[in-house]
Amino acid sequence: MSTKAIESLSEDTVRRIADERDEPEWLLETRLNALAALETADLPDVIQTPGRRWTDLESLDFESLVDPLNQSDATERAAGDDEVVVLPFTEAFDEYGDVIEANFGSVLDPEHNYLTALSVALFTTGTFVYVPEGVDVEDVTVRAEMNSRSLFSQTLVVAEESSSVTILESIESGDSEVDGDRYFSNLVEIAAGENSNVQFGSLQNLDDDSYTYSLKRGETDAYATVDWIESNFGSKLTRSDVETELNGDGSESQIVGTFFGTDDQHFDLNARVWHQAEHTTADLVTRGVLDDVARSVYEGVQDVGEDAWNTSSYQRENTLMLSDDAEADASPKLIIHNHDTEASHSATVGQVDAEDLFYLESRSIDSRTARNMLVEGFFVPVLEEIAVDEFRDDVQELVLQRLR
Amino acid sequence: MSSQQDDLKETDTEARFEFKKEEKSAFQTEKGLTEETVRVISEDKDEPEWMLERRLRALEQFQEMPMPTDWPGQPDLSEVDVDEIIPYIRPDVDVRAGVDDWTELPDEIKDTFDKLGIPEAEKNALSGVGAQYESEVVYQNMQERWEEKGVIFCNMDEAVQEHEEIVREHFMTKCVPPSDNKFAALHGAIWSGGSFVYVPENTTVDMPVQAYFRMNSEGMGQFEHTLIIAEEGSEVHYIEGCSAPKYSAFNLHSGGVEVFVGEDAHVQYSTVQNWSKNTYNLNTKRAIAEKGGRMEWISGSMGSKATMLYPSTILKGRGASDNHITIAFAGEGQDIDTGAKVYHNAPDTKSTVESKSIAKDGGRTNYRGLVHIADGAENSSTAVECDALMFDNESTSDTMPYMEINESKVDVAHEATVGKIGDEDIFYLQSRGLDDDDAKQMIVSGFIEPITEELPIEYAVELNRLVELEMEGSLG
Repeated sequence: MSTKAIESLSEDTVRRIADERDEPEWLLETRLNALAALETADLPDVIQTPGRRWTDLESLDFESLVDPLNQSDATERAAGDDEVVVLPFTEAFDEYGDVIEANFGSVLDPEHNYLTALSVALFTTGTFVYVPEGVDVEDVTVRAEMNSRSLFSQTLVVAEESSSVTILESIESGDSEVDGDRYFSNLVEIAAGENSNVQFGSLQNLDDDSYTYSLKRGETDAYATVDWIESNFGSKLTRSDVETELNGDGSESQIVGTFFGTDDQHFDLNARVWHQAEHTTADLVTRGVLDDVARSVYEGVQDVGEDAWNTSSYQRENTLMLSDDAEADASPKLIIHNHDTEASHSATVGQVDAEDLFYLESRSIDSRTARNMLVEGFFVPVLEEIAVDEFRDDVQELVLQRLR
Repeated sequence: MSSQQDDLKETDTEARFEFKKEEKSAFQTEKGLTEETVRVISEDKDEPEWMLERRLRALEQFQEMPMPTDWPGQPDLSEVDVDEIIPYIRPDVDVRAGVDDWTELPDEIKDTFDKLGIPEAEKNALSGVGAQYESEVVYQNMQERWEEKGVIFCNMDEAVQEHEEIVREHFMTKCVPPSDNKFAALHGAIWSGGSFVYVPENTTVDMPVQAYFRMNSEGMGQFEHTLIIAEEGSEVHYIEGCSAPKYSAFNLHSGGVEVFVGEDAHVQYSTVQNWSKNTYNLNTKRAIAEKGGRMEWISGSMGSKATMLYPSTILKGRGASDNHITIAFAGEGQDIDTGAKVYHNAPDTKSTVESKSIAKDGGRTNYRGLVHIADGAENSSTAVECDALMFDNESTSDTMPYMEINESKVDVAHEATVGKIGDEDIFYLQSRGLDDDDAKQMIVSGFIEPITEELPIEYAVELNRLVELEMEGSLG
C-alpha cells in the first residue's frame, strides 16, 4: 500500500539522519529496512463496525506532516541515582551499543505497521534506560518539548534481573515557530528481565494542532512486572497503543489509562495484553471524560494463550460524558484459549449522576462547581492506581485545567 | 403439560434430530446460482413481477458484495461455495394447496415430523404450526379461534399471493434489505418458504405459534423467510425450531427474519437450532420496534459447523425495549459466533442482553455484539452481560462487544466473564455421591438455567436434552 508514500523521503534522508548521529551500521540497516517496508506496510488496524470506521488515519496527510530533516526537541532527562543509565537514545551507542543492539526491535517490531516503520526510519530523539541487575531506582524523568513540524522518538528500556525502575515521561508543545499541523510519533519498548519491575508513566499534552501516534510495548520474563500509566490530554487526534506480552511464568502487567477530551479531540486508545505463560496476571483500568464534541475510541484486548494456565485477567473501562455531542465508542475483547482462566471485563458509559449533583447543589454548591467536583471524583479510582505522587499530581492538575 | 414433558424425556433426542430420509423431491434446481435459477424459482412459485424484480436486484447485490472475511476472529467461510449448493428443492407435495392435516402428507415427510414431535406439540400447546421440509412449507395450520380474530399464520409463498400489499410493503424493504450483507442478498435472491405472521391491532395470541424447519437433502441450501407483523397493542410469541441430519457435504442455511413490532406491541421470538455439524448457519434477523413496543429474542444455538448470527433490534420509537437471551454450545469442530445488536434510535429506550456460552472439546464460542446509541436517544439504558464456561484447553471462548455511544444522557454497561468449571463445585457434588459426568452436567444445567427459564417448557426440555447429549458425547 504505497498510497502513503512521502515524496521527500528517500534513502538519503535516512542516511543523513544516521550519519549526523554517528550511528552503528546495524541501526542504519534497520532504518533502511523500515523505510523499504513503507512500500507494503499498512496503517494500524482501526475498529470497524457496519458502515463506519471508528478512526480515520487514512486522511492524515503525511506529505505535509513529515519534515524529517528539521526535527527539533528540548528534552530534559534526570535520574535520581547514578546506578541507572539514562541517555538520549541517539547518544547511547558508544557505551551501550551491544545492549541496544541486543534489545532494539526485540519487543517492538519496527515493521509492525506503516507508522512504526516511518518512526524507526526517521527517529532523532528518545531515551535509552538501562537498569543493571539488582538496581532499584524510583525517579527517572523525561520531560520533552516538541519544537518542529514532526518529531519521531524511540525509547528503549532494558531492566535486568531483579531490578526495579519507575520512569515518567511527558511531552508538550514548545514555543515553536511552526504553523499548522504537526505530527508526533513515540515508540517505547521495554524488555523486563526476570523478577524485574518496571513502571512507565506517560503524559501527553501536546497542543491541538498536533497528531500523535504512540505504540508502547513491553515483554516480561518470569516474575517480572510491567506497569503502564498512559495519560492523554492533548492533540487533535491521538492514536495510542499500550501492549504487554506476558512471556514469563508468574509475570504481571497493569495498564492504567486516563484521558480527557474537549473541543473536537479524538482519542483512539488501545490496551492489550497477551498471556503466554502460567500464573500471569493482568489488570487494565481506563477512565476518561469527554466534553464538547470530543470522541473516544477504546479497545482493550485480553488474549489468553493455550499454555497460559492459571491466568487472571481483568479489564474495566468507564467513560463519563459531559456533553450531548460527544461520542464514546468502546470494544473490550476477551480471547480465551485456556480454560484455567479467570477473566472478566466491563465497560460503562454514563453521565454525571443527577442525584449526586442534586445532593451537592442542595448543600449550596453551584451546579458548575458541583459537576467539576464529581468529575474530579470520577478520576479518583485511577489516580489511586498511580503509585508515584508527582505523576498523580500532574494528571490531577491537567484534569483541573480542563474543567471549566 | 407434565405428561408431554415425560414423552420428550423418553424420546431419544439424538435419534429425533439426526435421522434422515431418502430424498424424494418433485422438483429441484441445478446446483449453483444464476439469474436463470432465480427466474425458475420465481416462476415455479407463480410470483408477481415485483417479487421477481426484487430477487434479481438482490442477486446483483449478492454478486457485487465480497465475502465477509475481515472480521476479527470470524469463522472460516472458505468452504462455503454457493456454486455447490442446490438452492431450491420442492418436496413431493402440492404446497400451494396448503396441507392442513398431517395425514395428507406423504408418509416419509409425515414420519419426519412425527419423530420430531411436532404434531404432538400442536395438539397440546400451540396456536398454530407451520412445517417446512427442504425449501417448502408442507404443513400449515392455525387454530380457528385465532383465524376468526384476523390473525394470519401462513407460509410465506402463500402470503405473497394472498396478502400481496402487506408483503410488498414489508418484505426486505425497511427491516432487512438485501444490501445488509452478502448472505442477506443471497437470501433475497433465492428465498423460499418460511412463515408469515400477522396479528391485528389489540389482539393477543396467548399460545405460541410454531414453525419447524427441516433440511433433509445433502448439499442443499435452505433460505426460509419469516415476516412477523404485530400491529399496535398486539402480542404474539413465535417459536422456530430447526434441524438437519448429518451429511458429508456441507449445507448452507441462510434464513431471513423480519419482525415489525407496532406501538405498544409485544413480540417474542424463540428459537432452538440444532443444525447438523456440517451446516453453515448464516442468518440475518432483525426487528423494528415502534413507540412502546417490546421485542424479545430467545435463542439457543447448538448445532452447525459454523454459525454467524446476530439478531438485531432497532428501537425506533420512544420507550421501545428489547431483551436478548442467547445460549451457545460449541463442541468438537464447531465455531459458534453469535451475539446481539441493538440500535437505540429514540429516547427512553431500554435493552438488555444476557448471553451464556459453553465451549468444549475444541469448540469455539464468540459473543460479538453491538450497542449503538444515537444522538438524541436520551435516557436510554442498556446492560449487556456475557458469561462463558470452558471445559478444556482445546476450546476457545471470545467476547467482542462494540459500543457506539453518541448521547450523554445514557446508562451503558457491559460485563463479561470467562471461567472454567469449578473444581470445588465438582468436588462438592461428588462428595454427595454424583459421578464426575453427572456433576458436570448438573453444573452446566445450572449455568444455563436463566435461559431455559425463559423458554416454553417443551423447548426448555429439548434444550436440556441437547446439552446432555453434547456432554455425553465427550465425557464417555
